[in-house]
Amino acid sequence: MPIVLLAKALRDAGRGSQMTVRADDRAFPEDVKAWCRKTGNELVSLDNRPGYYEAVIRKA
Amino acid sequence: MSAAAQLASSGLENRLAALEAEVRRLAQSSLEQSTRLEQTTELVLGTGQREKLSLIVFSGSLDRLIAAFVLATGAAAMGMEVSMFFTFWGTAALRRERVRVEKTLLERMFGWMLPRGVKKLPLSQMNMGGGGPAMIRYVMKKNGVASVEEMIELSKELGVQLNVCSMSMELLGMKPDELIDYPGRSFCGVAKFLETAAPGKITMFL
Repeated sequence: MPIVLLAKALRDAGRGSQMTVRADDRAFPEDVKAWCRKTGNELVSLDNRPGYYEAVIRKA
Repeated sequence: MSAAAQLASSGLENRLAALEAEVRRLAQSSLEQSTRLEQTTELVLGTGQREKLSLIVFSGSLDRLIAAFVLATGAAAMGMEVSMFFTFWGTAALRRERVRVEKTLLERMFGWMLPRGVKKLPLSQMNMGGGGPAMIRYVMKKNGVASVEEMIELSKELGVQLNVCSMSMELLGMKPDELIDYPGRSFCGVAKFLETAAPGKITMFL
């Protein structure tokens, strides 16, 4: 579900714009990596914070 | 240096300059060619061969519908082209909560037995007279998972295509006005499904 919300949010963003996503879904790290590989967007960073994951994505 | 030698060396210089210009021109054209090739590849991969997911939703139970819409919205988020084909109990699951339509007695009898609205759907297991679905809905809400109704809205936004089997509509005595609103919804048969699914990468029957 975080991936769907991320995709929806990034859809209207311009090329090169960055977005920070926080998710507490355990599947998020693997899912966000796969999503970036598939869609060609860049995963700038992925951190494991206490209680959630934080990813920064740059739109291609 | 004799006049003849001077003449020869200037001739060589001219040829060298001409060769240099030729090499530069070739390099430029090869660069242009490779850019064009890249753009073509991008075009082919980007639009011509967008990966497809086709889902047949046969079941009308809440749990299977959740799985179907999680897959559909997820695939759409991955940039895939998603088509859902609702048939049999899946078709019945797309009924609105309450609409009055003209029906024959037999069609009306079917209507009494079919679920009225997504909120009334049973679970395929552990239904417990409607207690199961209520529990699932509670747990999903608690965990921040979108409800099926919300996932249907998301599917609309992400451009998931919704197709309804016209044969099952007839068998179940359902009328088009009884179905939930969905932009671009179409009625179809097996030919349309096969045409859509055949070039696709993933097809599932739920």
